[in-house]
Amino acid sequence: MSEPRGGGCAGLLTGHLLPVLVAALFLLPLLWMITTSLREAGLPPPRTIEWLPESPSGDNYAAVFELLPFGRYLFNSLAVVTLAVPLTIITASMAGFAMALLERRSRVALVVLSVALLMVPITALWLTRFLLFSWIGLTDSLLALAVPSLAGSSPLFVLLFYWTFRRVSPDIFEMAHLDGAGAISVWRRIALPNALPTTIAVAVLTFILYWSDFISPLLYLRDQGLYTLPLGLRQLQQLDPTDWPLLMAGAVMLTLPAVLFFLVVQHLFLGERGFSGRRR
Amino acid sequence: MRRFSLSWQAGLWAMLLPYLVGTLLLVGLPALMSAILAFTTYDALTPPVFVGFANFRLLAADPIVTTAIGNSLVFILLAVPLRILGALGLALLLLRPRRGVSGYRAAAYVPTVIPDVAFALIWLWIFNPLFGPVNVALGALGLPQPGWLADAETARYPFVVMSVFQIGEGFVVLLAALRGLPREYFDAGAVDGAGRWGSFRYLTLPLLLPWLALLTFRDIILTFQWTFTPSFVMTGGDPYYATMFLPLLTYEEAFDRFRFGAGSALMLITFLLSAAIIGGIYLLFRRRGYTADV
Repeated sequence: MSEPRGGGCAGLLTGHLLPVLVAALFLLPLLWMITTSLREAGLPPPRTIEWLPESPSGDNYAAVFELLPFGRYLFNSLAVVTLAVPLTIITASMAGFAMALLERRSRVALVVLSVALLMVPITALWLTRFLLFSWIGLTDSLLALAVPSLAGSSPLFVLLFYWTFRRVSPDIFEMAHLDGAGAISVWRRIALPNALPTTIAVAVLTFILYWSDFISPLLYLRDQGLYTLPLGLRQLQQLDPTDWPLLMAGAVMLTLPAVLFFLVVQHLFLGERGFSGRRR
Repeated sequence: MRRFSLSWQAGLWAMLLPYLVGTLLLVGLPALMSAILAFTTYDALTPPVFVGFANFRLLAADPIVTTAIGNSLVFILLAVPLRILGALGLALLLLRPRRGVSGYRAAAYVPTVIPDVAFALIWLWIFNPLFGPVNVALGALGLPQPGWLADAETARYPFVVMSVFQIGEGFVVLLAALRGLPREYFDAGAVDGAGRWGSFRYLTLPLLLPWLALLTFRDIILTFQWTFTPSFVMTGGDPYYATMFLPLLTYEEAFDRFRFGAGSALMLITFLLSAAIIGGIYLLFRRRGYTADV
């Protein structure tokens, strides 16, 4: 495209100056959350914008664990994620693989179905989903939170695997098939190992999805011993809605794992190749 | 795949089974159930009783319902165009490879991965009328300091602002779409003397339109349900129902008042409303000669 080739005032403006400002703007919420969480407990709220507290302290982080069983919540969150991420990888990649190799008519129908499913408002389902879960005795259990992973967690993940496997030449799969391998063993031995970038990206997206999930535990869990971190943070807010440093410390603990995992794999989404299952 | 055997085909369908059956049970069945329960009264203790359209008549007469529908629609109207334009702006600004660009891209995506509850609490602090950074900054500049979430007049704007920070998905999709545009068109355009604006207006934008349409559809649904956690955590629908949106009202109807019939009716309304909006916008795009086929 006719982008300026560097140089010139306009080039500098859209090349670096504006991007730096935009990046700073988008980092602002994260930054304010962290600096506020480091503010000494018991001080009156700041009357100016505080970029870093005078004497940063980690006391608020310890206080969160004293007020609520955050260790327990952390364990529950990890249990859900440990169950949901591998299951999602298996179900989503199997479905994506199968879709990519079906004949044209079924393939197109399934892609259209998946895109349509992306448009279904989940809030239009949660009530009856809750009733279903309570009828089969699945409420008040961590399993209820991980159930969507049995169906690939999100049609988006299935589609990501589908697009990845579509880029691989079908000849490779066909050759393995002619050697006598069944569909499942071709998926396990050839397709999946060659889709490592997509697998990692979907794993991280799945982690973030379940780690952040607030609505499912809110709907399905009554027993406080089963609470996950997002519900714990909500509880913290109900205990003291005005202790901002404490609340932000809780928010940081919930946020950092998601942000860090994202940063580790961001090049898979945002790099020059974009989402790519291409083999090097 | 003519050389693939029957057992291979059967194997492929078997691999699709978890996805298809799971979707049927988790999406199809609940959708069907809410379509049925919407015409009953049901408290989850005694069996549902068929009441015809009574739920809908009661809901239509309830001013809170109309307020929630109005709020949801206004919010979509404000947030979706800003979100799509924001994602497009980010993608255009951060498309060209250069030093530091991966850092800028990552920074723009970061708010999108912040968990909803944490994100809501951060913004509750940022828009705190007394001590929040926004009003502190406005005060320092000698500007008026609105009550934001505490004031029915201004309560919806913090929601719009924070929703525009979570546009990573659209940004990534448009980045990929822009990269996929055929270069030859732009070379030909340059030969024909199209300037930057000309090539954007007559080449980039039309080529991108199917993607923008698809994103708009998805964003309407996403934004619609996105309001739940912020309104639940930040305002509880206050002040004076100014931030009462359909998802929060559905939640309260079902889980606070155990009126699953009325809740289902609200879900059905949500569903039909979304379908109507998407259908309308689809026709709009259609008339301009584009379809959203992918």
